[in-house]
Amino acid sequence: MSLTSNLFILFVFITVVLYYILPHKIQWLVLLVASYVYYIYSGPRYVYFILFSTLCSYLCGRLIEKFAENKDENGKTGNKKLQKAILICGLILNFGMLGIIKYTNFVVENLNALFHMELRGIEILLPLGISFYTFQTAGYLLDVYWKRVKAEKNVFRYALFVSFFPQILQGPIGRFGRLANQLYAEHSFSGKRILHGCERILWGFFKKMVLADWAAVFVDAIFGAPDQYSGLAIFGVLFYTIQLYADFSGGMDVVIGVASLFGVEMDENFKRPFFAVSITDFWHRWHITLGTWMKDYVFYPISLSGWMGAFGKLMKKIFGRKKGRVIPICLANLIVFFVVGVWHGAEWRYIVYGIYNGLIIAFSGLMADTYRTWKKKLHINDKAVWYHIFCVVRTFLLVNISWFFDRAESVGDAFRMMGYAVTQFDPSQLLTITTGAGGTVQTITVLCILGAGCLVLFVVGLLQERGISIRERIAAWPPAFHFAIYLGLLLAVGFLGSTASVRGFIYAQF
Amino acid sequence: MEKLIEILEDIQPDADYENCTTLIDDGILESFAILSIVGELEDEFDISITPAEIIPENFNSAAALWAMVQRLQNE
Repeated sequence: MSLTSNLFILFVFITVVLYYILPHKIQWLVLLVASYVYYIYSGPRYVYFILFSTLCSYLCGRLIEKFAENKDENGKTGNKKLQKAILICGLILNFGMLGIIKYTNFVVENLNALFHMELRGIEILLPLGISFYTFQTAGYLLDVYWKRVKAEKNVFRYALFVSFFPQILQGPIGRFGRLANQLYAEHSFSGKRILHGCERILWGFFKKMVLADWAAVFVDAIFGAPDQYSGLAIFGVLFYTIQLYADFSGGMDVVIGVASLFGVEMDENFKRPFFAVSITDFWHRWHITLGTWMKDYVFYPISLSGWMGAFGKLMKKIFGRKKGRVIPICLANLIVFFVVGVWHGAEWRYIVYGIYNGLIIAFSGLMADTYRTWKKKLHINDKAVWYHIFCVVRTFLLVNISWFFDRAESVGDAFRMMGYAVTQFDPSQLLTITTGAGGTVQTITVLCILGAGCLVLFVVGLLQERGISIRERIAAWPPAFHFAIYLGLLLAVGFLGSTASVRGFIYAQF
Repeated sequence: MEKLIEILEDIQPDADYENCTTLIDDGILESFAILSIVGELEDEFDISITPAEIIPENFNSAAALWAMVQRLQNE
């Protein structure tokens, strides 16, 4: 059930009506039933995987807490070893399931290629949302272990935290401490909240259907035949930037908007990423919940582990205090971005994509002191407008290079297209790409729609970057203008939305 | 506390550590800086900082960091 389908809108409408007309005490149950109906409708056989993940993490969470409270014969509370064993067991069960389903075929393919073996892979479709709910449950277990949250006692309530339907397909990756209480709380009907939610959903539809799906037509053509469209390589990656951002952030607008209809405020996943001044800053603004998850549950634990501490001491001996202090952090960062790459998919291009990002951030970390010295010597004021623009453009270019790996069919294709991007340039080839079902829409019209849509997105982003709340500004205008703006958006979705084909969301496949 | 401020200024200069109470919330301290601070604090004050301690409440100000150091020294 796609987030942009009529069926989904009807489903949300019915759920909202039931949510507010039934007794408030059972609102969370309405959400749980709706979530499972949604999940089972999307694929009944996938339900076993989410049930397994839910039950495993629920039981492990309860056990960790139980052993944390138990007293030994000396009156000391908490058997730390046992808690750790249960935590590891829970993580292995959760990530093991994800690993087997998502990565077995990748490992088999590479073993076969390396050792000329004939191992057989497994035939299984990736269960919906598995990469998202596995991370959510693993985060919960670690939070219980670190005593950041209390373990949930009611298994049905916990099941809602794992399966909450707006977020199940593509996040945001929720944290138990912030999300769970909102899901279980009673919410009264608020017209203002419903209106805000609908506005956000409409904005998401606009991004997805007017921008992402049209940009996808060009992306598919160019990346599908990189040699045929060699003069368009640079356009290919720019269109992919539009598609990926509008698709993923548009999907998040729909998800966050739908959740807010139920009074649930989900974590934001995007914060104008193309205004970032460095790759580090970019990852603070792009897929934020994945970035913070990685930071809290992978980066910090690896960096503070015993073996990394020993490595750090060795590095300090060899490279001195300052550099030796940063090298282990750079290594941990590389490991994190390797995991980010692998999380995106079982393909080498994703691994290269992750390591590319990791290397840039690690290098920046290593050079931070040197950069500071250079800037001082060259009298560069890093608050100056020109320097800020330079940093934004530099980051945009670095991010676009990474997209070649993210989108190309293979690492080889990515490098070939990068070569085309700097050696060949033929914009006229754009007009040879067929748009619309059977070429029913003029390519030039689609390019104009995309141009206008990007301009709207840029202006909105720029205003938000300056701390201006567009929603509040619009709300302050006379109701007729207010209405006209949203009617315009609705008409844009209806009349300018892609007619090429119905497309799912990119991140829903992860 | 003086030693702590010295460590902070060495790792991430150009911040008002005496008064700022939003070092994490405002992104003044990034993850690289946080881990560098943790490493230095562990060496300087002979404490062990676990991932569970790395929360904004402990790192948003020099005073909060100092309180964490003192608590861990007493544990």
